Amino acid sequence: MNITQLPYIKDIFAFMGSDLMAAVIGLLIIAVFVPLNVAFLVLVERKVAGHIQLRPGPMEVGPHGILQTLIDAVKLLGKEMVTPGMTDKVLFFLAPILVVVPAFVGWVPISFSPIMQIREMNVGVLLIFSFSSISILSILMAGWSSNNKYSLIGAVRAVAQNVAYEIPLLLSTMSVIIMTNTFRMSEIVNAQSSVWHILYQPVAAIIFIIATTAECNRAPFDLVEAESELVSGFHTEYTGMRFSLFFLAEYTNMVIAASMATVLFLGGWFGPFFPGLIWFVIKVYFLIFVVMWVRWTYPRLRFDQLMNFAWKVLIPIALVNLLITAIVLKVI
Amino acid sequence: MKTSNGFILYIQEILTGAKSLAVGLWITLKRLFSPIVTVQYPRKKLTMTPNFRGHIEAIRFDDTKTHHCVACGLCARICPSHVIKVQGEKTKAGDKKIGRHYVIDFSKCSHCGLCVDVCPEQTLKFSREYELVYYSRWDTVIDLMQRLEERP
Repeated sequence: MNITQLPYIKDIFAFMGSDLMAAVIGLLIIAVFVPLNVAFLVLVERKVAGHIQLRPGPMEVGPHGILQTLIDAVKLLGKEMVTPGMTDKVLFFLAPILVVVPAFVGWVPISFSPIMQIREMNVGVLLIFSFSSISILSILMAGWSSNNKYSLIGAVRAVAQNVAYEIPLLLSTMSVIIMTNTFRMSEIVNAQSSVWHILYQPVAAIIFIIATTAECNRAPFDLVEAESELVSGFHTEYTGMRFSLFFLAEYTNMVIAASMATVLFLGGWFGPFFPGLIWFVIKVYFLIFVVMWVRWTYPRLRFDQLMNFAWKVLIPIALVNLLITAIVLKVI
Repeated sequence: MKTSNGFILYIQEILTGAKSLAVGLWITLKRLFSPIVTVQYPRKKLTMTPNFRGHIEAIRFDDTKTHHCVACGLCARICPSHVIKVQGEKTKAGDKKIGRHYVIDFSKCSHCGLCVDVCPEQTLKFSREYELVYYSRWDTVIDLMQRLEERP
């Protein structure tokens, strides 16, 4: 019996059309790609860290340690998931699940190539920003429910930091949006077919990358999990697979942020010689390399320096940049 | 006047800060592509420099095929930590005294080298031993003469 002859399947197809197939295939690809990508990125991170510090990094498991993170994942899967006493059991259980959701949903509107996009949305850029705010909520849940002072301080820092850095992030995005007049990812990329936006908006691009680094809680803005002060911040009490879900979300958010920067500033899939998807991947991983490079170069900021940097430097410059962009567009 | 001065300082601070950040990035980029300096320890080992000061050991001389220790005890006397004990014996009357046991507890040794300097026969030197891990603190008490025989 053909499955498409079932009446309700027909109804679903009539309602959603080919979008349903795209969604199913896309989510399958994401579900396979995200953990493998995280395993790869953790290895790359450790290798970059090692070579910057003049040491080889992981070398033991597999040739040049390429299987190290897979073995780490197996080890984490085998560990006991401890729930400490006096915690808020429901929130403690929910937080690592909820933190992964935006990391998966954020992939939906990103256009990797002219044909590779799960769902074109009128508000694609806004969707990613709004879902990235959910991850902050789950960090707060994790910190609050752990009943641990380090977790709580880390979570409170995360909220303050993300509120501060979302403003320059959105302002620098706005200066691109008012140039292209659209929130659609593919149209933003198509507007850069001749000249990339980073040439028109270098200041906005730098502010965007700094702010996304802070949004992903990456060094030098990793006060959320500053291990010298807060053990490991909001996930101090998490063990085993729950801890690795936070880890998964952090690295996946990094890829999403780099994809956003590629779409907004680096011309998406445009480039000579290679097909679009390869160019997109090259640009994304270059940006991730830059973020890792920055992590192993700069020391961690103090909390007042972090806040001063957002409110006194990034936001005024982003506002001035937006103003100049608006005036120039109006005059032309 | 004062506000414009403050604005200039603000811009200057941002520009000098950005420049110093770029310098830092350039330094780590150079490090990223320079050769690594560590070795994979249990498989490869570093050779120590001649100046390395391990615990002391007796020198094997070519003329006697063994050490020249006469058990005078100067090293035991000058040692600030009192970690050296020397025992010697005479095989026959009128002969030189020969060191038979030279016991040192190098867990308390400060590697000052006074014993090496004071030795009249110059039969002591610093070893290049650096893999000093033991299960008991009594394992750090060694007999240098025995060690000399065991390690040709």
